Amino acid sequence: MSSANVGIGQRPSVGRLGRLLARFAFIGAFAILIAIFAFASPNFLTPGNLSNVVEGSVVLLLVALAMTLVVASGGIDLSVAVALDFGAWFSLAAMLNFDAPWPLAILAGLAGGAVVGSLNSFLIVRLGVTPFLATLGTLFIGRSVQQIGTGGGGNVNFRAAPDDFRWFAQGEVFGIPVDVLVGAVVLVIYFIILERSVYGVRIHAMGMQDAAARVAGLRTNRYRVAVYVAAGITAAVGGVLLSAGLRIFTPLAGFAYLLNAIAAVFIGASMHPRQRPNVPGTLVGVLFLGVLANGLDLIGLDFNLKAALQGIVLVIALASAAVVSRLSREA
Amino acid sequence: MTSAATIPDSAPRPWARVRQFLIRRGPLLVFALLLAYLAWQSPVFLGAWNIQASLTQAAPIAICAFGLVAVVMGGGDDVVAGGIDLSVPAGAALATAILSDQLTNAGASFGWAMLLAAGAALTVGVVNAILVTRIGLTSLLATLATLTSVVGITRVLTSNRRINVDDPVVLMVRDGQVLGIPNSVWLMLVAGAAFTFLMHQTAFGMRVQAVGGNREAATTSGIRPRPHIAMTFIIAGAAAAVASLALVARGSGSSPGVEDLLVVDMLLAGFLGAAFSPRNVVTIPGAMLGAIFVALLSNGLILIQVDNSWILGLKGVLILIVVSAAALQSRTR
Amino acid sequence: MPATASQPDPVLQMTGISKSFPGVRALDDASLEVLPGEVHGLVGENGAGKSTIIKVLAGVHVPDAGRVTINGQQLAEPTPHAVHELGVRFIHQELHLVPRFTVAESVFMGNEQTGVLGLRRREMRRRAERFLADQLGAELDPGTLIRDLGPAERKLVQIARALVDEGGRLVVFDEPTAPLAAQEIGRVFAAIQRLREQGVACLYVSHYLAEIAELCDRVTVFRNGRDVGRLDSVDASSHGELIRLMVGRELGQMFPERTARSGGAVAVATKALGDGARFSDLHMEVHEGEILGIAGLPGSGREELVDVLSGRRRARSGTLELGGRAVRLGSPADALAHGLALVPRDRREDGLVLDMTATANTNLSTLDRVSKYGLVLRRRARERATQMTQRLDVRPPEPDRIARLFSGGNQQKLVLARWLAADARVLVFDEPTVGVDVGARAEIYRLMSELADHGTAILVSSNDLEELLGVCDRVVVLLRGTVTAVVEHGACDLAGLVALTTGATTGGDPLAVATGRSVAGTDGDGS
Repeated sequence: MSSANVGIGQRPSVGRLGRLLARFAFIGAFAILIAIFAFASPNFLTPGNLSNVVEGSVVLLLVALAMTLVVASGGIDLSVAVALDFGAWFSLAAMLNFDAPWPLAILAGLAGGAVVGSLNSFLIVRLGVTPFLATLGTLFIGRSVQQIGTGGGGNVNFRAAPDDFRWFAQGEVFGIPVDVLVGAVVLVIYFIILERSVYGVRIHAMGMQDAAARVAGLRTNRYRVAVYVAAGITAAVGGVLLSAGLRIFTPLAGFAYLLNAIAAVFIGASMHPRQRPNVPGTLVGVLFLGVLANGLDLIGLDFNLKAALQGIVLVIALASAAVVSRLSREA
Repeated sequence: MTSAATIPDSAPRPWARVRQFLIRRGPLLVFALLLAYLAWQSPVFLGAWNIQASLTQAAPIAICAFGLVAVVMGGGDDVVAGGIDLSVPAGAALATAILSDQLTNAGASFGWAMLLAAGAALTVGVVNAILVTRIGLTSLLATLATLTSVVGITRVLTSNRRINVDDPVVLMVRDGQVLGIPNSVWLMLVAGAAFTFLMHQTAFGMRVQAVGGNREAATTSGIRPRPHIAMTFIIAGAAAAVASLALVARGSGSSPGVEDLLVVDMLLAGFLGAAFSPRNVVTIPGAMLGAIFVALLSNGLILIQVDNSWILGLKGVLILIVVSAAALQSRTR
Repeated sequence: MPATASQPDPVLQMTGISKSFPGVRALDDASLEVLPGEVHGLVGENGAGKSTIIKVLAGVHVPDAGRVTINGQQLAEPTPHAVHELGVRFIHQELHLVPRFTVAESVFMGNEQTGVLGLRRREMRRRAERFLADQLGAELDPGTLIRDLGPAERKLVQIARALVDEGGRLVVFDEPTAPLAAQEIGRVFAAIQRLREQGVACLYVSHYLAEIAELCDRVTVFRNGRDVGRLDSVDASSHGELIRLMVGRELGQMFPERTARSGGAVAVATKALGDGARFSDLHMEVHEGEILGIAGLPGSGREELVDVLSGRRRARSGTLELGGRAVRLGSPADALAHGLALVPRDRREDGLVLDMTATANTNLSTLDRVSKYGLVLRRRARERATQMTQRLDVRPPEPDRIARLFSGGNQQKLVLARWLAADARVLVFDEPTVGVDVGARAEIYRLMSELADHGTAILVSSNDLEELLGVCDRVVVLLRGTVTAVVEHGACDLAGLVALTTGATTGGDPLAVATGRSVAGTDGDGS
């Protein structure tokens, strides 16, 4: 082992170019994808369609941001799907069953996400269960709670939702859809926290070398709790937007977002000089997946075929991100 | 900080022994209590019909769990990025769909249909093996991704609709009996015996356990981890193939969404099975017993008319109990 | 192995072995010879070349020059496989056992016995049990799980695994007794005696001179990369000779002059401190402005003591006082809140976040001071980092370079920079100069002295006894979990300190020293 040598920095210049190429691999793939779809469908590059892509990506963006935070801290959260569902469900239920005014309903939705996050942090920090098993358990429990609560999995309908609530998904401010605005605000908040604040530095340190972070005096347990609760709340925001747009809560809708969110985070990480999960990269990943879904739609593929293709692309995306990360590191 | 690889001294203090017992056998106790409660509440719970039905239903769960156990053995069940294969039920569902489609729609012979189905399930296993050992994804991510893709592919194949099967071989598995034991139960027993031999009675199996138990130790003994880990995923694929036969028989064909519940049941069965083993590790026979327990539980809850949604919730809580116990175990180790 | 009475052919002969690594000449024309059926000791200080020559024999390192001959067969380049074929077996320091395996399974790991019906479990059980009993004198139930065995028994299983195929002619033991308690050592010794009776040669590498004296027939001493002497008969009276051979070098002007220190307030005090596993009933005091050294071999409890002091491990008994107040430390963050900071022994794993910049690392513990409303003020962070790194002369002065790319000595300085920024009042250095080149070492010692002069209390835990003697005001010696001596600066020479840490007494036995009886040659009190 070359432990004697490491520490004296010498980066070969060829490797540098290779590393740069690897980092921009996904941008390249993205461009190619856009080109293919633009060629395959005349409606693709219209402003109307592109704004559809953006608006349709908001919910995934929120879930992916939550995942970015968790993965940056060195863990993973499979239960964001459930947090999303709880956000949608609690907010609708608050209005439906308790006649709550819409601001309170939104708060109820966020509380739902916080509950999920709290359970996760209890299992992970207090009991020491590894993040994937803990959040897997939460995922299962959350799913069943939803099924129980909706009396066996039926949708929760609320067509007569107050207009103010509907405005969240369908309204506009200065021509920008409100949900996109919400997404943008959360994006900026996450960027500031994860990439520019002291909390972000500490979270990254924890995710990179937990032992060193602890020796440096960082209170890693407290941060872990905060991370998982924040992730739950963020995913719940997505859920609230979803229900505001659809005014229907379909149980178990969240699962579809889970894998896409993970893929977006890893795609984003492969673009970072040190393969760290990062907010701008996640955004690119989300848009990549959004364009993919949109393009497949426009091509008019059968619904099942589309689902299958997306799944396969996901596998390829994850595998590519892993390979790219490895190449970037080794060069 | 002393390295995590050093094995800590043993010699627990008196009350710590009680705690250790609870952590090791706790899940088993909980299950036993639940079953006792069910037996008390429902007069037919311990009746021959229920037992037989439960055993039959346990078959696909058990066989999927065999695949899970193989992967967990090789990946280590108390490791952060540990071994797990969530895609076994999906692979089984895909094989079931192919089997049904071939038998009913393409009019193929059973042998040919089974061959295709098995090939598909094994291919999934190979993909997992490559993703984990060559590309370097963690087992969780890799099998989660293949799970999603395979479900999608299955949907394409079946157009998300049910396929009925009345092929004689399938019917024989579903309805036939030998020596009073239903054929699907025989399938489970034979598969159980085969997997037990492979994972517990061969040098290969022992090496897989070495790799999962202490990777460094295995390497210095001349055992190469990667080929062994890759092989476990392929074995899981084989398990999915065998499970598909049980699934097709149980469901008289292929139904969409069957893998959903199977994932929960398989995880429960596999990890609960660890509580049966003296060493508290996942084992094949343990998984079989676990599957039987899970099936008994499911049936029992239905017998006392518990709502379906609650059943899922209870299973979720049980999974957490089992999983927390495993976590606490590896912590005190 | 047949041998004539007067001139047996050696089972191992290594002559003229040289091996260099970048910047360091690990072996310099070294030779080693082991006769059949003997127990041959190999001693030397850290860095003397003991482990390197063992690794050359194991085929891990390729020698730059020299010859290796095993049982008369000369090997151009030893490989693990070839060496194994010729009958050499290695008992590493790391056990490499699987906790959930049984004794029988562990003994045959990698060497599983199979038949038509698969594993021959009964045969493996039988053979394992027999081998352990007959060849090693150990009565062990082959069905016991490794995790239920004590350290000595695990060691015996490890030995059994290496030898069960009965092809072993030379067994190399690398620090076999380091993790063992005094009472357990006897079992390993008995096993080695048994091996010798069967004509198997043993090469016994150890720091514990008392054990070497008791067990070995001949001893080779290494220093500065070569064999500097060989004793053809060893007994308890040989310690002096061994130490003289191990140590004989000049202490350069590495260490700053220390003016006599006294009367500072007590910064750290331990009363009957124990961790429940490795050390117990420890009494110790460190004053402000003092540099206190902690000496002790691996397994003496020194590492665990550092872990407890720094908050990485909880104390199980006794009290720890910082600044006069009893504290309960649950984490390093708690320790830091009381002004105690750790410079860890593994600076790459635990000291720095390697992929973060020098600036980020320096500010990591004091981010609040370079931020406003939670946002990092980049310029201020840069300034602060530059201030600290300039003070410590970190090279190259590139604040945006990631920590991974600095040399060992400068990485150490980065860790120090972080603690300077955090105004630490007590600094615990754990193996401070491992992997640090000579120039940086002198600087680090100078820094320690300066910090102490400014009132910081400093603890230095180290394997390098020369270092402790040179830079510390006092040195506490730990042996098998208890303090056996406290040495004032200048009251003891290197040979004396070596004797104290290895439990070598003038005619005593290791067991007596382990129980804390006073040891000849100390001046300080044993508090």
